[in-house]
Amino acid sequence: MEYIFAVLTFTGITVIGVLGSYLVTGLTGLFSFGQAAFFSVGAYTSAMLVKNLDVPFLLAVPAAMAVGLLAGFLVGYPTVRLRRDYISLVTFGFGEAIIALLNNSANLTGGAMGLSGIPQYTNFAIVWGSVAVCLALAVGYKHSKYGRQCLALRADELAAKAMGINVNRIKLVTFLFAAAMTSYAGVLYAFYTTYVEPGAFGWIVSAEWIIIVFVGGINSLTGSVFATLLLTGLPEMLRFASEWRIAVYCVIVLLIINYRPIGIFGEFELTLKWLRQLGKKGVKAS
Amino acid sequence: MSIQQLLNGVSLGSVYALIAVGFALVFNILKFSNFAHGGVMTLTAYIGLAAALFFSTWLSGLTLFAATLLSAALAGALVGIVLERMAFRRIRNNNSPVIYYFISSITMGILMENIVTIFASSTFYSYPRFFELTVVNIAHVNIALTDLLMLVFSSVALMILLWVLYRTRIGLAIRALSFDVNTANLMGMDSNRVVMATFIAAGILGGIAGVFLGINYTLYPQMGQLIVKGFIASVIGGLGSITGAMIGAVLLGVLEVTLIGAVGAGLAPVFVFIVMLVFLLVRPRGISGVIVQEKA
Repeated sequence: MEYIFAVLTFTGITVIGVLGSYLVTGLTGLFSFGQAAFFSVGAYTSAMLVKNLDVPFLLAVPAAMAVGLLAGFLVGYPTVRLRRDYISLVTFGFGEAIIALLNNSANLTGGAMGLSGIPQYTNFAIVWGSVAVCLALAVGYKHSKYGRQCLALRADELAAKAMGINVNRIKLVTFLFAAAMTSYAGVLYAFYTTYVEPGAFGWIVSAEWIIIVFVGGINSLTGSVFATLLLTGLPEMLRFASEWRIAVYCVIVLLIINYRPIGIFGEFELTLKWLRQLGKKGVKAS
Repeated sequence: MSIQQLLNGVSLGSVYALIAVGFALVFNILKFSNFAHGGVMTLTAYIGLAAALFFSTWLSGLTLFAATLLSAALAGALVGIVLERMAFRRIRNNNSPVIYYFISSITMGILMENIVTIFASSTFYSYPRFFELTVVNIAHVNIALTDLLMLVFSSVALMILLWVLYRTRIGLAIRALSFDVNTANLMGMDSNRVVMATFIAAGILGGIAGVFLGINYTLYPQMGQLIVKGFIASVIGGLGSITGAMIGAVLLGVLEVTLIGAVGAGLAPVFVFIVMLVFLLVRPRGISGVIVQEKA
């Protein structure tokens, strides 16, 4: 039982990370390869504040998010002006540079050995409560003016510009929003595992989040959440075939990308309206 | 900077060039960054090791080295074919957006890395010593023999590639396809065959690069992540440009050796990133100046 809760907690943290990737990659179409770097920024900032400077946890959370925002601004401000594929390159380089930095400031961060002995302040309930809040924020963002402008500029940047959308500003706002959310996920991670190491935040993690977004369906927030549950849960379910589980995971992703390119959920969103209709249909059928 | 350092940088750069060109070849045609190339390098490096151990009963020295390199290159070609069929053929025929190629290539990269882990476990391996001699002294400059071989073989492989690209029919086809896929198709070219040929060429380069990386460092399943170097080199040189990737790679090699001397091996990646960022902001088309056109 303990084990299942731990897996579910990690899945919850991943859901928040994936939501960040969804906003940047799914909604806006910017391929951010360094999303996990914000995760590490959040995790390390809060952990160091609490452990080395005895800052109270509740103060460390906004501080970590602020540092995440600052990092997001430093990277985002110059890069949103670039072409899309260059954005992926820059965010990718940023992620790798952050890891190199963490590895090499050993007296502050513990280097490759990692930072251990972080008090455990988060638990299952806090993580899933945060998931609910972040999900609500993401849904709200998607349906706000900003979200619609994001969709517009993803579909056709030139046309969006012609309609008077400040493309760079919208991109930057989305990027910062996602950066703050991902740093928050990092905080949750650090204070759940009580141990952080640079190796856990490489570009592979960012790539995995993006894979999850695509498997779920680039147009569907529901898809992202369910794909996270499926794809982070799957390796655990396949634990009996421990050696082969990542291979199986890869094959499943390849099959989905090849045979159902719009993702599992396509454009479908799970809404109250849909549930109500389902209820009515169910009643009629019976 | 001493000549010694310059030489070290250039020989490091020559391996990066092999990686970067294999990467740039695919980018050239399909316009996406092929991260599966790292997996190809890992897989072929291990196959090369198996070949080296297999042949070592009959051969030694240079012949053994050549046999290893040849088997790895052949394996690379095969892996390239499988990769194209499994991961990209269907996506290409569906005219999917570039981002799907990304996903497919990353997934294939992780898959290949995982296959290596399953069959060879995650322990470190190293190639057998091919030569008695380790250091060559040319005009008071010491150069490690493996570095020298790396320089020679990489240069030869790249020369052959350039010859194929600019002097043969298939090379012409590859260049035509990279210019405009639709027009090339309308002219009656079989784009499947040309893309296949590109993946074979990239695979062969990946195989050679894999063996050299294996000799220079050690073999471990995550060695494919050195693809990052090829990627950065391509950015400096200009994405999709073959000659640009070569120049970028040599520059990157020299830059890295210099930076390691100046700020230490740890912080060098940070500075490399800064250089890359500056390049992207100041001259996003890279050194070569050929920009891959995007629809307005």
